[in-house]
Parts: sequence; structure tokens; C-alpha cells
Amino acid sequence: MPLYSRFHDDPDMADLVALFVGELPQRLEVMEESFASNNLPQLHRLAHQLKGAGCGYGFDEVTNVCASIEQATKAMDRTRSRAALDQMRDIVRECRAGAKP
Amino acid sequence: MSKQLPRVLLIDDEELIHRLLKIRLGAEKIELQGAYTSSEGLQMARELQPDVILLDLRIDEEMDGLQVLQHIKGNEGTQRIAVILISGASDTEHRVRALDLGAIDFISKPFEVTELRARLRGAIRLQQTIRMLEQRAQVDGSTGLWNRSYFDQRLRAEIAEARRHERPLSIVMTDIDHFKVLNDTHGHLFGDKVIEQYATILSRGRASDIACRFGGDEFAVILPHTTLVEAKDVAERYRIMLREQVWPRHDTLIVTASLGVADLASCGEGGRKSDLLTLADGALLVAKGAERGGRDRVMTCEGMVPGENVGHPDATHRP
Repeated sequence: MPLYSRFHDDPDMADLVALFVGELPQRLEVMEESFASNNLPQLHRLAHQLKGAGCGYGFDEVTNVCASIEQATKAMDRTRSRAALDQMRDIVRECRAGAKP
Repeated sequence: MSKQLPRVLLIDDEELIHRLLKIRLGAEKIELQGAYTSSEGLQMARELQPDVILLDLRIDEEMDGLQVLQHIKGNEGTQRIAVILISGASDTEHRVRALDLGAIDFISKPFEVTELRARLRGAIRLQQTIRMLEQRAQVDGSTGLWNRSYFDQRLRAEIAEARRHERPLSIVMTDIDHFKVLNDTHGHLFGDKVIEQYATILSRGRASDIACRFGGDEFAVILPHTTLVEAKDVAERYRIMLREQVWPRHDTLIVTASLGVADLASCGEGGRKSDLLTLADGALLVAKGAERGGRDRVMTCEGMVPGENVGHPDATHRP
């Protein structure tokens, strides 16, 4: 199911939201790289940053999943971090699906 | 004072937040600047002198937001800037610490945009009120010149600046000759007029000079980037302008002033503010003195040594 920003009909925000969604895959890749190199503190940091921004762009789902990653990495739990990253991948796909072509 | 837009500095390492606030605060009448690291943020705080700083609690590896806040509040050049901390909703402990460290307010991430705007406006309003009150407390009510308290603070800052950049710095101390006699003979209203007129002369000099009233008929002018020789010329101009002033209903009257000039170089290596004041006071004393027909003249501190007792007799009575 495509995800839409809470601000999708706010003309001030349209370009900004599109840019945000456009950059999500790249951010996810950087997070995946941190996970692959077992750098959970860095993954924690990346998730924290995106958590703070997600809501501001109208994507509460991004904030929520980043909070999960944040908790899992804080506990240094690789299994839960992996699961949360997979969830994040789905959400990024759904956000992309909701983006205007 | 020029009507400048309030300046807001955002210190946050996340580009997404910078972009977002730029749009979200786009309608506010502010000038928004951004810094991405703690060191860049501190530098911009010093240089830009923003009214308000929006500070992310987790800024970078080097320092966290609380440490940046400590630096801002612990540094004379930045301590007056209002800081609003941006924190997560669950960071209660950090918020309390931040408020204790001198933050004026905090905003939770994720942002409620209307709340963010309202809090920012509140901070700017408070900041402007404080600035206005501070300025009022530093201005002499009857002449509009800076007062003694501002003079002390500004001279200290100018000395530090002059030393840092190895630039000259001079001051002029002056008072009106026989002011008491003028008052007694022509009345206090006329005395006030003389004070006002001399204040006008002192404040209409070079734009970079800082004219202050110490109280009574005593004035001091700070002359940044100015050598003793140049300062003496400036002082001569003040003297001549007052001397040539025509007074309504007293057209034959000539009012004069004596002026003492001193510069930082004459204070030696570790010369302090008090040395500079002592030298200028000493020069004024010599200008007033009976030797070679005192008053209506400019004397410099040349040949005087700070620390030796050359002070103005009144100097000890000053607060």
C-alpha cells in the first residue's frame, strides 16, 4: 500500500517531501552498510537522525520504524536490528510508491 | 538603530532538519542561518551574534548539545544569545539540565510546526525586550551619550580587540573649564545647555569613536584604531569646536574645555584599562594645571609612566 505524507497537499512542502522520499533509498543503503560492517552505534545514530526528521516530513511510519532500529541497536541486538531494517525497507518502498511520478 | 530582521541560527547535523525549518519558518520575519557541527555552530554564534540559537541536543561526536550550550553560556561574546534546545520527547533529564544551564526553552522533535513558530517568536520577543532594556541602562538620559557603565565595558572589549589585532587605541578624557562658575553665573539651565552642546560635539566626531558621559561635566571618548598623535588632533578639533560655539543670549561668552589624551601603547606590555584611565586622567590634570596657563588645551600622556601618581584628583571618587 502506498504511503503518503501528511503534508502531501501542502504546496509549501511538496518539493521538500519529494526530495525526502527520493533520498530515502540512499539513506537506507548507508544504514545497511553500517549493519553489514557491524557498526551498530553508527546505525543507531543514523536511525536517530531520521527518526527526528521523518515526522517533520509527514511520515510517522518512518519515525516509528527508526525508533525500532534505535532501540534494537542500543541493545546491540543484531537480530532485532535486522528485522527492523527489513521493515524499514518495506516502508521506503511504500513511500516511493506514494510519490508522484 | 537599523531595523534588522531577528537572526536565528540553527545548529543541527541533519540536512533534512535544515531543509525542513527553512520552509517551515519561511513565513517568519527572521533571517535563518545554519551550522552543521558544534565547532561551526560556536564560531557562527560568535560572528553572527544571532538573537536565538536552535540547538540540536545530539549535534556531533565532538560535543553534545549540552556541551555546546555550556560553551555558549560560558563565553562573554555569546552568553546573551537565547538558546532553544531541540530534543526528543523522551529526553526529560536533558531538558532539565539544559534549562539549568541557561537554555530559554526547548522544542521536541518531531516538530509541531505551529508550536515551534510560537516558541521561536516568544524567544525573539523576550530577547528584543532585554536588548532594549540593556541599551536603556547604558545610555545617559540627558545627553543620549553612552554612560559610564557602558564605557567601562566597551573599553575593556576595545583593549582586548586592540591587543589581539595589534592595533592602536586611544582615549580622550575631558571636562568643561570652570563649569561650576558657569552654572553659578548663568544658571543651571545654561549649564545643561553647555553639557548638551559639548555632548553633541563629541558624538558628531568620527563614526567609529565612542563618546560617553561620566556624569557632571566629565566626558570620555574611546578612539579605536587611533594613535596618540591622531587622537590629539581629534581632541584639538573638539576643543576648537566648543571654543567657537556661539551661545544664544550670551554672544560674547566663550566656553572652553580641557582634554587629556592617552593611548594603549604608552601603558606598556601588560597595560590594563586602569593604566589607560590613569594616564588620560593625568594628562587632563596637566591640561587643567596652572603651569603655562592652564585650561582650554589638549595634553597627551607623553612622558608619563602608568603607575606613577599622576592621577586626576577626582579619579579616586569615581565609582
